[in-house]
Amino acid sequence: MIHALLTRVGGTDWETIRLPLVLGLLALVPPVVFREGATYVSRLIILAAIFATLATALNIVFGHTDQLFLFVGALTGIGAYTTALSAEALGVSPWATLLIGALLTGVIGALVCYVAARLQFTVILIAILTLALQFAVIEFFVGARDITGGSTGLIFSGLGFESLQEGFGIHEHVILYYLVLALLGATFVFYEWLRDSTYGLAFDAIRQDEVAAESIGVDVVRYKVLAGFTSAFIIGLVGPLYAQLEGFVIPGLFEFQVIDVLVLIILIVGGMRTLLGPLVGAGLVVWIDEGLASTGEWRTVIFGALLIFLFLYFRQGVVPFADRILNDRFRTRERIATWRES
Amino acid sequence: MVSASVTQLVEFAIDGITQGLVLALLGLGITIVFGLGGVLNLSIGVFSAIAVVIAIELLGITSSLPLSIVLAVVAVTGLGLVVDKSLLSFVYRSEGEERVLLGIFVTLGLATLLDGLLVIARPSSYSLSVGVPSTTVFGAQIRGSSIAIIVISLALFAGLYYFFRRTYLGRATRTVLQDETGAVLCGISPRKMRTLVFVLSASIAAVAGILYSFTQQVGAAEGFELTILALIVSIVGGVTSIVGAVAAGLVLGLIATFTSAYVGAYVAEIALFAAAIVALLLQPEQVA
Repeated sequence: MIHALLTRVGGTDWETIRLPLVLGLLALVPPVVFREGATYVSRLIILAAIFATLATALNIVFGHTDQLFLFVGALTGIGAYTTALSAEALGVSPWATLLIGALLTGVIGALVCYVAARLQFTVILIAILTLALQFAVIEFFVGARDITGGSTGLIFSGLGFESLQEGFGIHEHVILYYLVLALLGATFVFYEWLRDSTYGLAFDAIRQDEVAAESIGVDVVRYKVLAGFTSAFIIGLVGPLYAQLEGFVIPGLFEFQVIDVLVLIILIVGGMRTLLGPLVGAGLVVWIDEGLASTGEWRTVIFGALLIFLFLYFRQGVVPFADRILNDRFRTRERIATWRES
Repeated sequence: MVSASVTQLVEFAIDGITQGLVLALLGLGITIVFGLGGVLNLSIGVFSAIAVVIAIELLGITSSLPLSIVLAVVAVTGLGLVVDKSLLSFVYRSEGEERVLLGIFVTLGLATLLDGLLVIARPSSYSLSVGVPSTTVFGAQIRGSSIAIIVISLALFAGLYYFFRRTYLGRATRTVLQDETGAVLCGISPRKMRTLVFVLSASIAAVAGILYSFTQQVGAAEGFELTILALIVSIVGGVTSIVGAVAAGLVLGLIATFTSAYVGAYVAEIALFAAAIVALLLQPEQVA
């Protein structure tokens, strides 16, 4: 609706103003929605933003290069654990070690993609490979008690701005929200740039026909590795922020059922290969999940049924679906306009 | 001293084989469905868990263990038939890679749904006691549960072997596995064979779950864990190879038991995943 309206009324190009508009609206969320004492709502909103960022990262590697990462949870965890543990070991603030975690996860993502591309893995093979990695990593988090603290984990709260909190009385959730939003915004800007760059073009070529892409000189392995690194790097940055929200780093936060299942649903429901799909999907899924809370024990059952339904009938995603409907309507209007003129 | 450690080794080996046979059954459940229909059934572990819960419930009513087990397997087989006729019909409409992805997502949704139902009905985990006494062979003690598991699973494997090698239906199934177009030309309906195999895999999963509960606790919480174990066995065995799945189950069972005994339980779990990853890297063409 907004799409059609904007293009019709202002004559503005939706494509160019959509990103600043959406980010601007998101920046208004804390003053409008966050309330003192209502940390429950603000936590959910931050969580949705975190999952939107994860889904955008998965969108790059899975949506654009067909490499299905089923270890987003493990990567998030590696990012969080590395940041927390290295900060502790070096005696510095987690701010300083944030990049170490992200770089490590980036390298892991790149390595997995390199091996998979070299051995010419199909999408299903990468899915199984990363699924096995996911469970091995969680098993390690739980088992290596001396390093990770086992299932009780570590307390984590280093990514705040205490001076801001105390000096101006700003709630920690407000600060965290803007941190996550900064990362989400940066990811969005990067994604928008990526799609229009040579990389985006190469990704499309590889996804449509790998052999043909190779034959015209696209270095398939290199681009796949780049996509893997980028996505894993972003996921590695999200990890510590996610841990900051929860207040601790424990294996249970990063399990397949907790992260990967949700991220996949968000991406597919929102719409793969779209900019706003992950955001819309994350909002929708967190909202549905919350709405189901009143159903108590039936929550999982309904969620599972919903999953099946969405995958069977809504695979193209909400954003492409809405886009198509609006475009159809828009064209109808256009036709009426030309008919009147004549 | 030497003989004591040898005895211990033998005992560990028997434990490993016992665990391996159950793993082999689980892996087989994944393998036959993926090989025949291209659907990676991620809800298989929940089928196993449901079988255990039903068997426990029935045991309270019938107070006969064999009867309860048989009825539980029949019930889960019925569930498999319902799933095949409803959900999988939608999945089989798509082709190739899309079908594989859709299969993963739909069975993942199904696993979540069934898991939720199971938690509502019976949230805790159970183990069945077999009532077979332990025996001592050459100084090595063999648990009654091990004897029961080995006997039942070997009988099941023999039955499956006979089915796939000797019966018309079994051969027809393997024809579809090898060459779908050829099978159609011979008048075999791939869809019917897929239903048959999915139902078969559901009953295998049910038996595997019940055998697993002879030595471990099984319930809603263990469902997905069993799926992952099944997946690993199936991958190491080459995903579409029936013999491979059985061999992989045995090897992994032995690896897990010995690593667990000599190194530590969590290393054993990681070793299983490492084995799966190595198998993937060494023989990817068999899996795809």
